Amino acid sequence: MGKKVFKILSMFLAIILVLTSVVGCGSKDTSDETVTGSNNETTTEPTTEPTKEEEQITLTFWHTYGDGEEAQFKDVVLPMWEATHPNIKIEAVRQDGSQYHQMIVTAFGTGQTPDVARIDIVNTASYANQGGLVALNDFDGFDSSKANFLEGPLSTNLFRGNYYGLPLDTNCKAAVVNRNTLATIGLTEVPATLEEFLTAAEASEIPLISVSGVGDWDFYPYFWLFGGTLTDTEFKKASGYLDSQSSIDAMNKLVELNQNKVLTIKEVDGTADAWDGIKTGEYAMFFEGPWFFGSYEENLAQGIEAATIPTYNGRSASVVGGENIVIFEASKYKDASYEFLKFVTSEEVQLAMLDCGQIPVLKSLVSNEKVTGNPVWSIYMKQLESASARIPSPNHTEIGQVWSNAMTNIFVNHTEVTAELTNAAAQIDGLLAE
Amino acid sequence: MPYDMKKQMWKKNRKGLLSAFPFIAPGLLLVCVFVLYPMFFTLRIAFSDYQIVKREITWAGIDNFVSVFTAQNSSFWYAFRNNFLYAIITTPCIIFLGMFFAFLINNLSKGRTIFKVGFYLPVITSWVIVGLVFQYLFNSSNRGLINYVIVDVLHLSKDYIPWLLREWTGNAAIWIMGIWKNTGWAMLIYTAALQGISMELYEAASLDGASSWQKFRGIVVPMIKPTTYFVLVNMVIGSFNVFLQVMLLTSGKPNGTTSVLQFLLYDKAFNQFKFGEASAIGLITTITIILLTVILNRGLKLDTVDKEETL
Repeated sequence: MGKKVFKILSMFLAIILVLTSVVGCGSKDTSDETVTGSNNETTTEPTTEPTKEEEQITLTFWHTYGDGEEAQFKDVVLPMWEATHPNIKIEAVRQDGSQYHQMIVTAFGTGQTPDVARIDIVNTASYANQGGLVALNDFDGFDSSKANFLEGPLSTNLFRGNYYGLPLDTNCKAAVVNRNTLATIGLTEVPATLEEFLTAAEASEIPLISVSGVGDWDFYPYFWLFGGTLTDTEFKKASGYLDSQSSIDAMNKLVELNQNKVLTIKEVDGTADAWDGIKTGEYAMFFEGPWFFGSYEENLAQGIEAATIPTYNGRSASVVGGENIVIFEASKYKDASYEFLKFVTSEEVQLAMLDCGQIPVLKSLVSNEKVTGNPVWSIYMKQLESASARIPSPNHTEIGQVWSNAMTNIFVNHTEVTAELTNAAAQIDGLLAE
Repeated sequence: MPYDMKKQMWKKNRKGLLSAFPFIAPGLLLVCVFVLYPMFFTLRIAFSDYQIVKREITWAGIDNFVSVFTAQNSSFWYAFRNNFLYAIITTPCIIFLGMFFAFLINNLSKGRTIFKVGFYLPVITSWVIVGLVFQYLFNSSNRGLINYVIVDVLHLSKDYIPWLLREWTGNAAIWIMGIWKNTGWAMLIYTAALQGISMELYEAASLDGASSWQKFRGIVVPMIKPTTYFVLVNMVIGSFNVFLQVMLLTSGKPNGTTSVLQFLLYDKAFNQFKFGEASAIGLITTITIILLTVILNRGLKLDTVDKEETL
C-alpha cells in the first residue's frame, strides 16, 4: 500500500515539475487584458477617454535611460501620458545598456520583443533589414510630422526609402577643454581654430589632445575635421572617397600628430583616460558627448568647459549620436505604439526630457530659450550643425570593424596609409553593396 | 531463448521502466527542451539561411560553411588556429603547474588549506574582474606593470609594447590568463589524487635514498596518470570553449588574429545576424571536439585505463 502511495506521489510530483517547466517556458502574453486581433491589426483606438475595461492595453517600452533620465521619464513624462491616454498603460522596462543590442537580438529570436523601444541610432538600419521594425510612412500624419524633426537625426531612421523610427534624442561630440592647461601653452581663450591650437601645442612635451580609441565613434570626428571623407553622400561607395587624396592627407596628419605626441590614442598609447586626464589637467582638450558635464558648475570651477570643436581649414566636424524610438513588427498594438511615439516626440515631452540632458530633436526647439540659455546644450546644438552621421547600413558593425582594423594597422603596425585606406575602401564597398 | 522467457523478461523490464519513468521524466524533458532541441535546431540552421525575425528557414546546403571558410577577411582560420594553439600551449602548462603545486602542498606539514585556497582563488574570481586586471597588466604604456618592468625597470626595450593590439602578444596575454585562471582547478584535482598514493611507496623510496625530484618523477607522475588523462581531456575540450578571455582582452584585434571560434560565433550571430554561419561555426567546433576526444581516447588508450586499474 505504502509503495503504491509513494509511486503515485512520485508521478504526481513529476507531472507538476513537467507542467511547471512547460508553463515557465511558454510564451509571454504581452497584453494585460483581452484585446484581440492579429499581428497586423490594431485593436484599439487611442482615445482621451477611458473606455470599457476590456479595451485597456499595455505597451511594453524598453529603454536604457540612466537613473536621472528614468526618474524624469517615470515621474514627469508617464503621468502626462496617463492623463491623456488612460486606456493605454506603458510598462517601461529599463535594460542593461552594455548588452542591450544582444538582448534585442535574442528577443527577435524568441518573439518576445517589446512593442516600442528606444534604440541606438546605428542599429535602426540593421533591425529594419531583418524585418523587425515597422515602417512608419503609412501612419496618418507621418509625412507632415517628419518635417518637424532635425534632418540629421531623422535621416538615421531612413532605410531603403522608408522611415523605421523617429528620432527621440540626439547628441554629438563637442570639445571639452581645460582652460588651465590651455593657459600653460599660452592660450587664454579657447582657440577658434585648430591651427592656432596646434601652433601653441608645439611648445608642450606631453600630448594635449586625447582620444579613447580608433573606433568609428571616437575617431571619425578627427578624420572628418582634417578633411577626410568616408563615402559618397548617399553612402553607396567608399572607393574614391575613403582613399581620396584628401582622406589620405587627413590620415597622414593624424599619424603625424600622434607621432609628435600632440594627439594621444589611449587604446594604442596606453595613456590616461580622457575623462581623468582632462580633470587632472594632463590634457587640454578632448571630444565627448554632453553626458560628460554632470554638474557644469563643478566643471567650470575646475576650469573645464564645453566648446565647439575648433575649425581646421575653416570647418568644424563632429559625429551624430543619439537614440531613435521604434515600433517592433511583433507588436499587437501598432497604432497605439505610434501614438506613443508621437507623444514622446512632442514639444512638451522633449522639453521635459531636456531637463535631464536629453537634447531635443525638433527644429522648433533649436532656438528655445531653455536650450540657448544653457551653456552645455547650446554648444552641442551649435555643434550639431557640423556633425555627420556614421554610415547608416545594416552592416554597420562590419564596416566599423573594417575601419578599426585599418586604423590599428596604421597606428600600431605603422603600415602605409594609402594602401590601408584603399584596402578598407574596397571592403566597405562590398559591405555597402550587400 | 524460448518465447515465454522473452515475454517474461520484457514484462519485468517494462515494469522497471514504468517505475523509473516518473523519476527520469522531468530530467529527460528538460534535456529534450534545453539540449536536444537546440542542438538539432542548430544543426538545421547551419545548413540554412535563417531569418531570425521572419522565422524563415531556407535550405542553403553548405553555403554557410563555404562562406565561413572562404569569405574575404574571414577570421575563421585565425580563430581555428588560435583554439589549437590555446590547447597546445595552456594544457601542458596547466597540467605541469597543477601537478607541481599539488605535490608541494601535499608535502607541507602546515598551512595546506591556506595554499589550496590561494591557488584556487583565481578559479572562483569573476572573469570580468580578472579581465580588468589583465588589461591593466598589459596596458600599452608604463601604466601597465609589464611595460613598466620591461621598459622602465629592466630597460629591455626602448618602446612600450601595445601587447593587446598585436597578434602574438595579444594571444600570449590570452594564454597567460587561461593558465593563471585554470591552474588552481588542476591543482585541486591533483591534490585529491595524491591522497590516494600509499605512504609506503614514499617510505620505500626514502629508504632507497630517492630525492624529492626522483619521488615526484618515479612515484607521483605514474601513480596519478589517470588523473592527468582526466585533466588533459577536460583542458583540451575546454580550450575550444575559450570566449571570455578574448572578449575581455582583445575582442579579436588586430584584424581577427586573436579571435577564437566561440568569439567568432558570437560576433556572427549577435553583431552580424548571420545565424547560419554562426551555427556552422558551432557545428565545426563540435565536430573538432568529438574528433579530438576520440583521438585522445585512442592515442592515450584512455578507454583501457579503468580496466587496467581494476585488474
